[in-house]
This record gives sequence, C-alpha cells and structure tokens, in this order.
Amino acid sequence: MSKKNKNVKKRVTFSDDTTISSHPTHKKKDSNYDRPPVYVRKTLTTVPFHLLGLLYYYVKISNNYETLMLLLTLIPMQIAYLVFQFNRSTIYGNKRLKVNIPLLFITAGGSVLLSVPAMIIIILFGAPFVEHLFQTWLLALHASFLAYPALYSVFNCDFKVGLWKKYFIAIMIGGWLSCVVIPLDWDRDWQVWPIPVVIGTYLGAFVGYSVAAYI
Amino acid sequence: MLKKLLVLLILQVGGVFIFLSGFFPQKNVLAGNAAYEINTKLQENATPPFKKLVFVVIDALRSDFIFDEANSGFSFVHSKLNTGEAWGFTAYSNPPTVTLPRLKGITTGSTPNFLDAILNVAEDDSSSNIKDQDSWPMQFHNHGYKMRFFGDDTWLKLLPPTIFDEYEGTNSFFVSDFQQVDLNVTRHIPHQLKTKNEWDVLILHYLGLDHIGHKGGASSIFMPDKHKEMDGVIETLYKDMDKDTLMVVMGDHGMNDVGNHGGSSAGETSAGLVFLSKKLSKFAKPSLQKDTKLPMSLDDPSTYKYLTIIQQMDLVPTIAALFNVPVPRNSAGVLIPEFIQLLNTKVGDTKLLENYKQLLEVAKMQDIEGFLDEDRISKKVDQSKIIQTMKQIQQTIIRNATDYNYDNIFIGYGVLVLATIGSVVFGISVMGISVPLSITLGIAALIGFSCFGSSFVEEEHQLWWWIITISISSSYIISLISGRGQFWPHFIVFFGVRLIRGWNNTGQQTVYNYVISQQLQQEPAILWALNIWTVFVVCIRDFKGNPVSFISSFTLGMMVMTYKMSWAIVNKEGMPEYLLDITRKYCVIYTGFNDESVFDQALIPMATLFFRCFASITVIKFIATALKMQKSNTLMNDMTKYITLLLIFLSPSANIPQYLVFELMRYAITPIMKKQYSTSVYAVSLVSLVLQNFTFFQFGGTNSIATIDLANAYHGVSENYNIYLIGVMMAVANFAPAIYWAMFPWAIIYNRCDKKGTTFGKNKLPILIFSCVVGCCLLAACVALRYHLFIWSVFSPKLCYYAGWAIFMNVIMGYLVEGPLLMFN
Repeated sequence: MSKKNKNVKKRVTFSDDTTISSHPTHKKKDSNYDRPPVYVRKTLTTVPFHLLGLLYYYVKISNNYETLMLLLTLIPMQIAYLVFQFNRSTIYGNKRLKVNIPLLFITAGGSVLLSVPAMIIIILFGAPFVEHLFQTWLLALHASFLAYPALYSVFNCDFKVGLWKKYFIAIMIGGWLSCVVIPLDWDRDWQVWPIPVVIGTYLGAFVGYSVAAYI
Repeated sequence: MLKKLLVLLILQVGGVFIFLSGFFPQKNVLAGNAAYEINTKLQENATPPFKKLVFVVIDALRSDFIFDEANSGFSFVHSKLNTGEAWGFTAYSNPPTVTLPRLKGITTGSTPNFLDAILNVAEDDSSSNIKDQDSWPMQFHNHGYKMRFFGDDTWLKLLPPTIFDEYEGTNSFFVSDFQQVDLNVTRHIPHQLKTKNEWDVLILHYLGLDHIGHKGGASSIFMPDKHKEMDGVIETLYKDMDKDTLMVVMGDHGMNDVGNHGGSSAGETSAGLVFLSKKLSKFAKPSLQKDTKLPMSLDDPSTYKYLTIIQQMDLVPTIAALFNVPVPRNSAGVLIPEFIQLLNTKVGDTKLLENYKQLLEVAKMQDIEGFLDEDRISKKVDQSKIIQTMKQIQQTIIRNATDYNYDNIFIGYGVLVLATIGSVVFGISVMGISVPLSITLGIAALIGFSCFGSSFVEEEHQLWWWIITISISSSYIISLISGRGQFWPHFIVFFGVRLIRGWNNTGQQTVYNYVISQQLQQEPAILWALNIWTVFVVCIRDFKGNPVSFISSFTLGMMVMTYKMSWAIVNKEGMPEYLLDITRKYCVIYTGFNDESVFDQALIPMATLFFRCFASITVIKFIATALKMQKSNTLMNDMTKYITLLLIFLSPSANIPQYLVFELMRYAITPIMKKQYSTSVYAVSLVSLVLQNFTFFQFGGTNSIATIDLANAYHGVSENYNIYLIGVMMAVANFAPAIYWAMFPWAIIYNRCDKKGTTFGKNKLPILIFSCVVGCCLLAACVALRYHLFIWSVFSPKLCYYAGWAIFMNVIMGYLVEGPLLMFN
C-alpha cells in the first residue's frame, strides 16, 4: 500500500488543469507553486532560426518555389529543432525531460494526420476546393510540421496543457495575414497558390516560437 | 437622435452627389462640322478609291472570334484574309466598353465619356446623343451619300434617323433572345442587294453574338453556330459587291470570358476589325499579315493581340480619307498607314497633313501644347515620322479626355468630410469608445484604405472574406473563453459563408471553372430541387399561429416558382422532365395557348400577376395592422418573408439556393447574437453590414459596370416599358442579397422592443459611420488618382457603386422602407 502511494507521489503531472494543480496536498509540497507546472523558458534558444534559412532557400535559391522539397527539408530540421532547442527550453515541473524517441515518430505521424483537419480548416478559410487540392494538402502539411514541436509537447503532456494553443494560433494568423498579397495585380510568380501562405505560415511560426514564451 | 442621424445622412448623400456632378462633367467638344482646310481644291476634286460602303458591326466581336484557330468560325473571312482581299486588325476600344460609348467612338472618333456608360443603361436619356457633334455618318450625309441602316437602335438614338433613307432599329434589351434579333437584320439584306443602286452606305449592327456572351459566356455552345451565321451574312454581301465597294466588319468592343464587358481587360478592349474589298488584293498587305496564314494562333492567347494593333477610332479618319470627306472635328483617330497607298501620293500626303492639323485642334482644345504646328512641318512629307507624332498626340488626348469641375469636387468633398466628422463624433457620444465602435472604424478604415489600390477595388470581395473569417473565428474564440463554446452555430455559419464564397465567380481577375452555380446549371434536377426547397423554407418561416401569413406567402411562393421555371425554359436552361410537364400544363391553363410559344406567351402576364399580388398583399397587410386586425409585431416578420420572395423572383435561377444557405445561416446566427452578445443592436447591425457586402459580391456582383445584372431588370415588362420601373427592378435585382441581410436585424432587434426610435437609430449608426469613412477615402482616392490608367475602368465604377449603395441601400431601403414598416409594426 505504501509502495503504491510512493509511486503516485513520484508521478509528475504537467496539467495546468486547476482541479489537479490546486489539489491541497500538492500545494504544500510544491515549492515553485507560483510557476505553472509546464512552461517555456524565455530564452533565445527557442528562436527557430532554421525557418528563416528555409525561407531563404525557398524564395531565393530554389527555382520555381519547390514546395515539396521545402517540406522534405523542413521535417528533419523541425525534429532537430525540437531535440536541440525547443525541448531543452521547456520545463516540466522543475526539470527538463529527455527526448522521448518513440514519441518523436508518433508525433511525426500525428502531424501527417493533423494535416487533414488543417486542410479542412484551410478550405473553410477559402482555399479552392476542387482545383489545386494537392497544393492545399502540401500547405496543410507545412502548417502541421511547423506545429510539430508544439504537437510533440501536447502529446508529452497528455493533452492536458493549454499552453501550446498559442503556437497553433500563431501559425494560423501568419497564414491568414499573408493572403492579402494574392489579389494584387503585380503578376509575380510568387503570387501563385499556395506560395504566399506557405511563407506566411513560416513567418507566423517564426514569430510564434520566438515570442510565445513571453505572452 | 433620429434628427441628428437624418441631418448627417442628408449631408453625406448631398456631399457625394455634389462631388459626382463635378467629377463626371459633360465633356468639351468642338461644335460644327469639319471642312477641308489644306489644299481644299485638290481634296474636293480627288476621286475616292471606293464608292460604296457596307459597314457591318457585330456586337462584342472579340479579336479571337474572327482570327483565332480554335475559337473562330469565320471561314469565309479567313479565306479572303489569306488571298489579300481582306485586311485584318485588332482594334483597341477604349473603356468603358459598352455599346453606346463605343458607337460614339466609332462614329465621331472621340474618346468616350464615362457617363455614357451609365446612360447606356438608361437609354431614354437624350443627353447622350451626338446630333450636334461631327461624325462620319453626318459627313457622308452632307456629302450626298445615301445611307441605310438596320440593326441596334442605339444608332438611331445617337444620330438623327433622318440621315438614313431607310432604317429599322432592333431593341437590344431582351438579352435572352439571340435568334430573332439577328434575323430581324438579315431579312433586309436580299432586298437591299436587289436595290443596291439606290444606296451608297449600308450599315448593319448585329446584337446576337453579344447576347450569347451575356447569357453563356465566350465559349457558349451557341457561339460556333452564330459565327457561321455571321460568316454567311458576310459572304452573301461580299459576293454581290463590285471592286469599288468597301466592306468593314468590326466589333464595337470585346468581352471577357464570362461574356460581360464594360471594363478594361484585354478581352474586353480587343475588338476585331476587317476591311474587305476586291480592290485590296492589288495593294501590299499590312506587314504583319504578309506571312501569316489565317486562322492563326497566338503564343499567349490571353493578350488577344492578333495581327496589327490599331486604335478603334483610327477607323474614322481612314473611312473619311477613303470616301473623301473631311475628318470629323472631334476625332482623335490617326489615318491607318496601310491605307495611304490606296490614295495617290499627293492626295495621300494632303490627307495626312489634314489629319495632323485636325488632331492638333482637338489637342489645343484640351490645352495640350508642345507639338509642332502643321505648317512648320517641311513640305516634303515624311509619312512615318508624322504618323509617329500623331500617335503621341493621340495618346495625350486619350489621357486627358475630361475636364473636372474642381469647385464642385471640393465643395462636395468638404460636405462629406463634415458629415464624417459629425458621424464619428456622434458615434463616440452615443456608443462611447467601445468595442462596436472600434470594429466599425476598423472595418471602415480597411475598406477605405483599400480604395487606393486598383487591385483591392477589383477584388474587394477578398477583403470582406478576410473580415468574415476573422470575425467568425474570433467570435468562436470569445465563446470558448466565456465558457459557452457554441461550436455548432459558429461552424454552420462558417460552412455557410464558405459555400457562398464558392458559389459564383466574382472580382475581375480570376475565373474558376468549378463554381457551384455552374455545377448546378449542369445538374438541373438538383438545382430545381434546391430551388423548390428554398422557396418552401422561406414560406414556412415562423408561420405558427399566423394562417394568413402562411397562405399569402405560399401563394406568392408558388407564383415565384412557376415563373422562374418558365423563365428558365424560355432561356433554354436545363429543366428536369417532370417540372417541364408541370410548367407546360400551368402555362397552357394560364394563357390558353397550346404550342411551342406557350412559355414565351406566359412570361409577361405571370410576372404582372406576381407584382400585383405582391403589392396587394403588402397593402392589405398594412391596413390590417393599422386596424389592429392582426397580432402586433407580425408586420415586419411577414414583410420580410414577402420581400425575400420578391428577391428570389428577381434572382438568376442558379443563385436561388443561396437563399437556402442564407436562411440556414440566419437560424445559426440568431442564437449566437442572443446568447453571446445579448442582442446588442450594434453587434447585429455590424453582422448585417458585413454580410450585406460579402453576399453582394458572392452573388456575382463586382465593382465593375460589366456585371450589372440586366437580364433580371425586365420581368413582366413589354416593349413600352417605364424607365423608372426598370430602374427600381434593376436596383433590387442587383442588390438582392444585400437587401436580404439588411432585413436580417429586423426580427432580432425590433421584436418586443419599446423604444423603436432609439433602436432604429442604433441600428443605422454603424452603417452611417462606415459609409461616411469609406466615402471620404474613396472620393480622395478618385481625386488623387484622377490621371491613373484605371480611373475610368476601376475607380469611377466603384464611385458609382458607392453612390448607388448610398442612395438605394442606405436611404431607400434603410429609411424609406424600414421606417414606415417599423412605425406600423
């Protein structure tokens, strides 16, 4: 019986659900109660510089805006970013957690699955429904993999922490804002669907990952 | 509160109209007819290369219709182009690309006035005629050419009919007819060919091709047959011509892919132009035609630049030179260089100099200086150099086509600014510095600033879509935060607006193939099932305990359905078999006819009956409410239903199911407004404002005059129509979805409300502020960009839409209709 109790105490819950975190017994023992159970440190480490590099590749180096190629480069870089930067800046309870390797792959699968609802949302927000479906899906995949570190953390917290919403919203706002250039009559080759929105989601993600810890 | 609102509204509308009177002035023209000025004797005695002219205008004949390999069915014209008996050009027609201003351009050679495009619709107006302006038909008449005219009666409104020995006009307004309107022209040809010694000029104007475009777009299934028919007409005429006859086949303007015109896109401004004569084969073909075999194909078909490009007005001095009459005084045309070889050297040089001098006079009238006077040009004429200079003068003239009345512009703008400041201050005092006021100002600022960019004006629907997506998402997030979490209502609304967004092509830049309205037109069974459901859902709206409303709305609903079905059958839209039978039986009972024309015959009486029923039900409802025979508060609810049925009556059949989506959205928004925003009048008013604008665009409306829906302005009117009735119907038909959403607040805010006046004022305030702020920005944009390339094709139409919206939606619908309804309610 006592052993069992010990086990319970050792278990760390990261939920910011008030019913759990404000549990009276918990309250006494948690010396850092004023801090949320899970948070991201305010540090330069979280700034995803690789996204800027990828954008530079996409806009300047790749000819004809190879969206698929960009996606294939994005995936390993996001994983690396998660392992070396984002996860190290995330504090669970009082400590950093080691990277959960199987979860990395599960999250990658989750991102692919997430692209389906993302695609539905993108279409609801006005993307063409019959034409360019593949392009729209690529965009959805980009958005999902930009959210990959946040999604990993969501899984890592068993869906109990609301902190990660910001990251998803930042990516969405980036994409939403970037639509504004599409109707302009500048006749540039980057005004083609979905290039501006891809760039917008990247910028949204860049800003989101950089500043979300502060807000 | 109401008094202040009224004063501000009057100030706003007054300011806008003073501004308009200064911004669209009547153009300066040189009065009187031209006479020769240089080498008068030589010119008078010269023998013209041609003696007879056959002038065939095919309305909306875009350049590719006559030259392109894939699109053109004019095989006879192609063969003549290849032998050199015909010379082809692509003629740039200056916007506004609608018939009346273009005909002015073709006959007088002047640049069109923007007002002409508007007057093209209000045909009865007499201020648009050019009886006092010099034109080549007038010159021909004065020089003793005998002329005959058959075709579009716009010609007879522009020119005094007395200059023609024989004429018959056809009416261009029954857009749905594309057979009879042309047969009415063609049937004159055999007789004219028999009596060809009695005339020198024969003008024909065919409208069918334009009607096909309006109805089914540039690639309509009726197009190839129409091309062959027109080609046949040209062949008949040409075979009977001698070598002293010149035939001109031309389009007055082009069309875009949807079949509309009025704007300045490449398709609309590129009209075809072909000169045919047996004599032409003796001379050198235009250089671009030399090595080209017709029909041809372009590397980039979207440019529509086939063969040599000329200005359409260049036709005027060319015809004048070829038939030896003076160039009309206001012409800005330049003699087409290829035709100078037809004149002998001395006459050719003189004609060119004469043209130069005449152009300079037009330029001087517009205070354009800096070009050499004609007598300073050396006696030895260097043709290519002169032509180059003339082209420069022409460009300057086109650019400076109008004079503005700056006094009116600034007075009008001042009054509007006053109204705007007043309304914002009033808004702050009533609403306080609050969320609704900041949202109103935010939306107004966004739309206002967008007025300075031509693409944003063209694609305004995107901005409204943008506003809608952010509003619904943030409203949902607010509901999440406040813990109500109304997912389904928000989702239904979002899904509804997304459906509507995919319903029609709108904006002026892109055309999608997979819009819902087109898919539905190919599946008439689904379309008409949806249409019937729509009418049913509208009729059944809160009928409980109100049998009178139930019966009257179903009576109206049945009439709407039968009429729309007959209308669709007459217009050869698809129709499921079983409905075809029902409609036929109904029409047979109705008219007593029993043959093919029964649908045609039934249309006008059916529409008249509907309007009468609508009017009498409205009157009875008012009387019943006034005498307290009806439960109070039912007047506005019932009238909303009747008016919705009227809107359905005036909508194209493929758009009717949109009202079903509207109804669905209404059912979803109402609880959101009640629970989440506790029926705040401002919130309801803002939702209504955004949806009015959004649905206006998604119904197919744009900021271009090309998309004004004319087909639905002529229900139930016969030949002798009343112009005001048509005007009202046109406004209702074009603003139909906006009217629906303007009625949306009624059921929510006026039900069981005590302070009618205050609620009414609160409902109108955000709309007034929005309208004033956008007006300030738009008017400033029009003045600042008055020399912009797109001022006539983008900014001026937007200005007209803005004025139309202010008058019809804000004043007539918002005050004159809503006011009395609320008073009696």
